[in-house]
Amino acid sequence: MPNINILSRRAFFDRSFKVGLGAALATLVDIPWVMKRALAEGNIGRPGPDGKIKKMLFIFLRGANDALNSVIPVGDPAYNATNRPTIMIPKDPGTDYTAGSSCDFPQSVLATDPTFGYGYALRLGNGFAALHPSLKFLAPVYNAGDLALVHRVAYPKQSRSHFDSQNYWETGAPNNNLVKEGIFYRAMVESGLANSAPLTGVSVASSLPLSLRGSAAAMTNLTDPTRYNLLGIPNNTAGNAKADNFINTANADPFPDKKNRELLNLQYQNMANTLRIFAGINFAEAGNTFVDDVNTDNDAPYHLFPTSNATNGGYALHASDPQKYVVDTGAYGFFTNLKAAALVLNKTDAIVAGVEIDGFDTHNNQVGAKPVIGQHANLLGRIGWAMYALRKYFTLYSDQAKWENLAVVTLSEFGRTTIQNTSMGTDHAEPGVMFVAGGAVKGYGKGNPTGVFGCSPSDAVPWAPGAATGTTGSMFGVSGRYLKRAYDYRSVLGKLIRDHLGATQNQLNRVIPGYLVGGEHLLGGGTSMDGTPIMGEPNIV
Amino acid sequence: MLFFPPCRNPEPTKARVLIMTAHRLLALVAAVAVPAAFCYAGLIGDPPPPRINTITATNGQKRIQWTPYPAAQRYQIFSTDDLSQPCVPDTAGSVSGFSWSAPLVSDRGFHFLQVTPLTSGELLVANVLNRLAYGPTPDELERVRALGADNYIQEQMAPETINDPLPFETVTTNFGSGWQYFTSTGVANTSGTGTNFYIYLNLKGDCFIDDLRVVAGTSPGVGVNLIRNGDFELPLNPNDWVLSPNHAASVITTDVSHSGSSSLHVLASSGGTTRDSAIWQPVTGLANGTRYSLSYWFLPSTNNQLSSLTIRFSGSWITSTPYPVSSYTKLLNGAAGIDDLRQWHIQRAVQSRRQLLEVLDQFLENHFVTQYSKSRDYFDGFYNDANRMAQLAAQLEFKENQRWRQALLIPQCTFYDLLKISAESPAMIIYLDTVTSRGDAARIANENYARELLELFDFGVDNGYDQSDITVMSRAWTGWRLEFVDAANEFNPFAPKTTNVMAGVTANFNAYSNLVGVWSFNYKSQYHNTSSKSVFYIRDANGNPLSPKLVPDRFGPPWAGNPYGLVIPSRTGTNGVQDGYDVIRHISNQPFTEEYLSIKLCRLFVHDDFPNPSNDPANANFNFYNYAAGNLSPEADLVHQCMLAWENGNPKGQIRAVLNVIFKSDLFRSHGGSMQKIKTPLEYTVSAVRALRAANPNGTFTAQMDTNSATIGTPLSRMGSMNLFDRAAPDGYPEAGPPWISAGTLAERVRFIQSLLYNPAGAGGVPKPSDAGTSTADPVGLLKLKLPNNSWNDPGAIADYFLGLLFPAEGKANLDLYRTAAINYLNTADDGVTSSPFSSLTSASATYDTRLRGMVAMLMTMPRFHEQ
Repeated sequence: MPNINILSRRAFFDRSFKVGLGAALATLVDIPWVMKRALAEGNIGRPGPDGKIKKMLFIFLRGANDALNSVIPVGDPAYNATNRPTIMIPKDPGTDYTAGSSCDFPQSVLATDPTFGYGYALRLGNGFAALHPSLKFLAPVYNAGDLALVHRVAYPKQSRSHFDSQNYWETGAPNNNLVKEGIFYRAMVESGLANSAPLTGVSVASSLPLSLRGSAAAMTNLTDPTRYNLLGIPNNTAGNAKADNFINTANADPFPDKKNRELLNLQYQNMANTLRIFAGINFAEAGNTFVDDVNTDNDAPYHLFPTSNATNGGYALHASDPQKYVVDTGAYGFFTNLKAAALVLNKTDAIVAGVEIDGFDTHNNQVGAKPVIGQHANLLGRIGWAMYALRKYFTLYSDQAKWENLAVVTLSEFGRTTIQNTSMGTDHAEPGVMFVAGGAVKGYGKGNPTGVFGCSPSDAVPWAPGAATGTTGSMFGVSGRYLKRAYDYRSVLGKLIRDHLGATQNQLNRVIPGYLVGGEHLLGGGTSMDGTPIMGEPNIV
Repeated sequence: MLFFPPCRNPEPTKARVLIMTAHRLLALVAAVAVPAAFCYAGLIGDPPPPRINTITATNGQKRIQWTPYPAAQRYQIFSTDDLSQPCVPDTAGSVSGFSWSAPLVSDRGFHFLQVTPLTSGELLVANVLNRLAYGPTPDELERVRALGADNYIQEQMAPETINDPLPFETVTTNFGSGWQYFTSTGVANTSGTGTNFYIYLNLKGDCFIDDLRVVAGTSPGVGVNLIRNGDFELPLNPNDWVLSPNHAASVITTDVSHSGSSSLHVLASSGGTTRDSAIWQPVTGLANGTRYSLSYWFLPSTNNQLSSLTIRFSGSWITSTPYPVSSYTKLLNGAAGIDDLRQWHIQRAVQSRRQLLEVLDQFLENHFVTQYSKSRDYFDGFYNDANRMAQLAAQLEFKENQRWRQALLIPQCTFYDLLKISAESPAMIIYLDTVTSRGDAARIANENYARELLELFDFGVDNGYDQSDITVMSRAWTGWRLEFVDAANEFNPFAPKTTNVMAGVTANFNAYSNLVGVWSFNYKSQYHNTSSKSVFYIRDANGNPLSPKLVPDRFGPPWAGNPYGLVIPSRTGTNGVQDGYDVIRHISNQPFTEEYLSIKLCRLFVHDDFPNPSNDPANANFNFYNYAAGNLSPEADLVHQCMLAWENGNPKGQIRAVLNVIFKSDLFRSHGGSMQKIKTPLEYTVSAVRALRAANPNGTFTAQMDTNSATIGTPLSRMGSMNLFDRAAPDGYPEAGPPWISAGTLAERVRFIQSLLYNPAGAGGVPKPSDAGTSTADPVGLLKLKLPNNSWNDPGAIADYFLGLLFPAEGKANLDLYRTAAINYLNTADDGVTSSPFSSLTSASATYDTRLRGMVAMLMTMPRFHEQ
């Protein structure tokens, strides 16, 4: 066995992030990995009373999602056509957005009606907020109380650089460019399983995201789950076994210390371990049998994971009519990955799985010929259907992980400018919205009067409506240009890691060291270090 | 108890490290696993000596184990029973890996460990080939060892002096001679436009066709000809053959014919791709799902020309291109797709003798990021033909890449030259949205380019600028757009749109598809923000400029305290274009740029641990690059030296001056720089082919990168979406290792190697997998070229050769365990279990070939091959 333990300690010493990780983890590093589970605190990765492990699926919306057009503050006069001449989502003149209680769910009347025929904002029922109509499939999830929409989420001294801000979201350490390890990676290390179990954190993406990266333990990334096996020369069973054997043995050979050797060693081990497990999962799901259990949109039951035109909503059922799509045709790669992530969470002991959607950086041409269609609408459509589909999959089809064991959360590096730019798009701004879904979520009617957090004048840190013409109100709260934050993303993730996955507060303090800094007020809220009042953790699970 | 008596028999000619430890076997010393407590960042010179970890005595054997030492060629144990006597090499025992064991004879003894590392020259040769080149080839390794690493560096620093014949860059001109017969077959797919039949040349040119037949069945030419006037005996009739504008000059000719009295003279004024740029015919009577056969006679033109003929159905269910032109030919003529560009770029990386030029070119490609897909989408507004859009977008990428290459061939090339090429590149103008940015009538300019120019291309994140600078600077770029101009006006930003219409066009002269020209940078003054702009100024609460910012103190002399504000006067009309040039001239040689680019070059050539700089005293990196305070780490000192070389040059910013500093530095030449990086997917695949690619006497090579443009990009995509020329995010593909290494991408890398090494004819009845496209390697051929006959059945000699070739920086002694594994592999049958001595295999046999291929694949799939 190579001297991993020794090198790991040296690697930790190189981190200036010593404060948070401090004593507790360091003591876990030098003991044999198989012992760590017994010594680890908390319940991350431990089966609960129902015999099942609590799991998390995160979806990173890369490029910065325009929150103001996703969860829309229709009650704010500043959300208007002066500020957003071409991209404003209009209100339905026949709907009173100050009334209602549940989320409106416009469905097609006839099976042949277009899927997204409704061209107005969808009333959310909290008297102030509404949804982009492309998010309509969130409505059943919201109305069941399984969805929390957390608005005005950012962090102090917001960076408007994609790469820096994505990094901060993924490391859980804003404004700290030294941290090279991910927030979910640290959560997995806290479980004690990170080095001994073959799978703890998994991503289905082009490469392992920073949120799962760390030097002491290897998380798995699948670029294409169906191709996950090695070849031998000759490429038959015996040849493959011979090749595998030699690779695995040689990985254990010691070598002089160099920067990347530890990482390579860990990842080779991880590859060998997971190859075995994945050979037993049917990712291709020939026949694509996961379908809705009700008539979607008054049509037939649709496939949950559209990976082709034929499985995309009612397209194939209605003479190849593109108006019957539930997602845009560019979404098939994403849904292939989402399905794989769902299968992995169900069939293995993986605790956290992650996927991503690119393309949210809508600097130009954010909408199409009408504001409710176009680039951004397509991307939101994917989110809406994804939440709907995951709820159905984990309720109807999964066996080892069920919907009440799962929390799905979206991340995005920041929100976008209140006023649109000259290229019919929006530029980088500050806070965005997080979509949190799961059977354990306390949304509308499940311990909370509404599933909307942070988008109402009656919040503890109120959303202050602005003037119809002018630069006052929350939407211009920063530099007279950007929406002002009222939540810290770490509070949302921290709440999930502790109260859903099962970390102790001590563990959470190590995963998100901001909890130890009084001035951050991540737990209970207060006036943050930069003078902004924020609410603490939203009561979402 | 550790005890260090002096040793009495040093060998002064060998570099060596001595460790001594005494033991009394009756009282065993507790083994202490002392951590190798040094960090490679900052390491100049040799690492500290290795420690003996354990000394054990069990079952009549004594065993000594030690920590591996970098680049160790040989480990030896010296022993003596009596310290008054010299220590001598202990022949009673043998070294295996990092341990030595011998029979336990006496209960007392003194042993010390001697390590003979690679000489610094050998280490430098390996490092130089891994950093200035895409890894060694067998021939280059020999050549550079003989030449010496420093001479190689000098040679590579002046690529214009290196003769670089690249066979794939010769333009295709051989189209055979006389009338030639070609056939093709396929199953009809009549859906959509599948019954349309096309004839076109892919570039300007001409050729002749006769006796064109499409018949049902598998026998070409047998049966009813579904093509009307396929023998071209009748005059051209638009009911039979429709001539698109670029083929409008095509005629029936009696000058030559294969049979009958006439043939079709195909004449193209520009390349065709599909119906509206071809000679075409809607064919009737085709049955979906039925097999058809095409046949025709082709006569090349006597004119000197480059174009190749394609005959196909829409949807390509039958297609024939008898003489495809090379990717390079297409690139030169604007007829290449993105696949052709990738093919050319990757083949250069594999084959060019100007390796450093290739490495720098790729660095620039990945630094001044542009995105092919975004350009293609831009052209969607001007064209309907998807192929045409794709070609134009690929051409923009090719042009900026070529301009960088040409610039780098000039000895005094500066960073300003390279930045200017990027700023003027139409691909960049599209990519960062300058092309739609407006500053007229108080419009808010698009900030994308200004931000990335500072954050990613010049200064580095938050290094000397803030949001107000971005906002103001973004106005300087307003008006920088594109236009389709006459070829002669390509570098004139004030030129008007071309009025040059394609020959044969009879309507809609304004449609871009009918015009002949080139897309270039063009200045549109009507969109420009003409106000004066003060960039890098301290501002008051209302945003008004007060005074220029000063270079922070940490930079030290000669920069600290200098004002670096830029005032751009109000300019109107065509003068406004000067705003953008003012900006790039100003920022090219600011200390922030010097610093950031030096850091990036150090990361490329030395190791990844050069952090980003910071001007915030609260940031931990602030003092790392505090040049004024002194006491710099070796990394920071190297960056500082690079900056000084940049600053003190005339002109400033000469790339070669900076590289010279890096290549002469101790950090580059030491273990601190050796094998400390991880190969990106491009470096991994290219270095894998190069490692096996030796020149055969007949001009062929023992390994070859995929020649199929359609598949060459697939492995790179699978290994982490490294899609060349098409990155969505402007920060470029990562240079460091961790983003590329996860279980999934490792599996893809391993599969690539295994496919590369596979015999193209199959092995054991199983065909070659497609993971490496048409890339091939012939390790048996390589072996027989480089080793004498009497070694061909010697597993030890073979293992030694390949280990030295694949891991030249590791040291023979450190590879001992791989060596044992390689020999075992060679001596084991395909079932992985049965013993099958390699020495008894016939070197011409298939078994020998399979076995050797498997062994080389095994070595190349080891963790060490990912390192650079």
